[in-house]
Amino acid sequence: MAKTVLVVDDEPDIRDSVEIILKTNGYNVITAVDGNDCLDKLKVTKPDLILLDIMMPGIPVDDVVKQIKDIKIAFMSVVRISDARKRGLCEQENIVDFFQKPFNVSDLIDRVELLLKD
Amino acid sequence: MDAEKITIKNLLLSKINRKFTLLFIIVALVAPALGIYYFYLMSVSSFSQSIFAEQVELLRIIAIMIMVLIAINAGVIGFLVSRSISRPIKELYKATREVESGNYNVRLNIKTNDEIAQLGEAFNLTTSALSKLNEERKEIDNAKTEFLSITSHELRSPMTPMKAQLQMLKEGYFGNLNDKQLESLSIIVRNADRLDNIIVDFLEISRIEAARLKFNFKETDLKQTVIDITKFMQAYANEKNIELVTDIDNLPIIEVDADRVSQVVRNLVNNAIKFSNENSKIEISTKLKENFILFSVRDYGCGLTPENQIRVFEPFYQAEDANRRIHGGTGLGLAICRGIVESQKGKIWVESKPGKGCKFYFTVPLTPVRKIEPIKVLFSPKGVIESKIRDEFKTTLGPLGEGEFIDLKGKNSLGKDDLFEYIDSLTKEYIISQEIGYDFKNRIGKIYGEEKEVINEKRDMVFQELGDEVLTRD
Repeated sequence: MAKTVLVVDDEPDIRDSVEIILKTNGYNVITAVDGNDCLDKLKVTKPDLILLDIMMPGIPVDDVVKQIKDIKIAFMSVVRISDARKRGLCEQENIVDFFQKPFNVSDLIDRVELLLKD
Repeated sequence: MDAEKITIKNLLLSKINRKFTLLFIIVALVAPALGIYYFYLMSVSSFSQSIFAEQVELLRIIAIMIMVLIAINAGVIGFLVSRSISRPIKELYKATREVESGNYNVRLNIKTNDEIAQLGEAFNLTTSALSKLNEERKEIDNAKTEFLSITSHELRSPMTPMKAQLQMLKEGYFGNLNDKQLESLSIIVRNADRLDNIIVDFLEISRIEAARLKFNFKETDLKQTVIDITKFMQAYANEKNIELVTDIDNLPIIEVDADRVSQVVRNLVNNAIKFSNENSKIEISTKLKENFILFSVRDYGCGLTPENQIRVFEPFYQAEDANRRIHGGTGLGLAICRGIVESQKGKIWVESKPGKGCKFYFTVPLTPVRKIEPIKVLFSPKGVIESKIRDEFKTTLGPLGEGEFIDLKGKNSLGKDDLFEYIDSLTKEYIISQEIGYDFKNRIGKIYGEEKEVINEKRDMVFQELGDEVLTRD
């Protein structure tokens, strides 16, 4: 059965691009436009992976992450991983990867595949 | 020194102060006049009685008393004069030196109610205007760095969907492309990457300039780091059949940010590969020195002219070369290397002869510098400082100065400490006298905004004259 990925990004172009990439490679995709929307979507579905932008309007991503315990999260951000670490963003156990924007399409697919392998 | 001369001259002129003139007149004219008048009375009255000897004695005592009185008066006046004139002059002199060394917040508090007080007032107005200008300059400077950082971030965000979509096109997400379309797309992708690299480099520079460059110091064996980089870079070198040769000292384990060191080494090796001919070699070496490690990367490529050796660390400067466009690159690599090395108080420079290749050097201190200071990479005041130093060289060393200056600049040895060391070597070899050496150092120190004199002022002033004499004879 196809796995489901929730893509959270406030930029529609990025959301759409990632959605097409994942769908083309056989994943189900749900999208959310910010942290609040993400938490709302999680009330009705349980994706296998969340691709989460860091800098978004609305509820801070730190608070979003704290409310998600049992789903794998991979950040996808222009923020550098060293800065994200400094902010204490990468400490939670379900945070499994960090995609640096601008990302490489084939690299993204390879790593998502790896993350969703049972 | 000029400032001091002018100040004293002005003050000497304004010294004819009404208050003191009046005092002087009273004391120096009226007192002796009174004495002489008394003397006259005594001698007139002594004609009728002829007890001459006694009166001579009395006159003598009176004369001595008058002299003592005058002496005391003169002393008191001297004291007052020095209090109200010399002291403000000294203060003014000190304050001028402060301003010279870049402290614009110095204010004078002279309350003598005369021309000196007025001068002090004018001085205060000038320094407050200067400090205002200085504040504005700092603000503009910060705004520049901030602007660079924000625009780079903003430029980078559209890169994400753009690069993604381009790659998707290329990888056939939206159907197969014919050869011409693929070729066109490759050009777009390549240039998008290049643009992104420039933006990344700009961000790095904005970090260097705002002292936000991050260093993660960890105990590291840099020998291993260099070996790893060499292995990694050999893959790229193989494309031109270039051999990477290493000569690495056993290095102590030191606290250092290995990622930053390898960023610099990779950049240098990358450049070396770019500018090497096929089938040549590149030598990478590390030497342990007293309190730093000296790295070098040597290639046998086209080399650099002396002019280019100096300018190669400037942003966007690429030596004129027919191959330049093939080499690509952002033109910011070496400027960033300089920023990284200098953030750790190290040095980076190049030695080269056209056609013989280049040898790039840089140093890493054995103890890390934790307090990172901002370094101007894009628009540095270096140019201004350098032209001042060049002038000092020419005035002190005559025609030789120019050549020596270029020589030192080529070695990137125009830092204050380097120059002091250089001047010491000149005095040691009796090329210039000790006195001129001291003087030279003082003036170089001043260019770098040094507050204290290298030696005490008195000696300095005496030697200043000596120095000038020697110079004019030249």
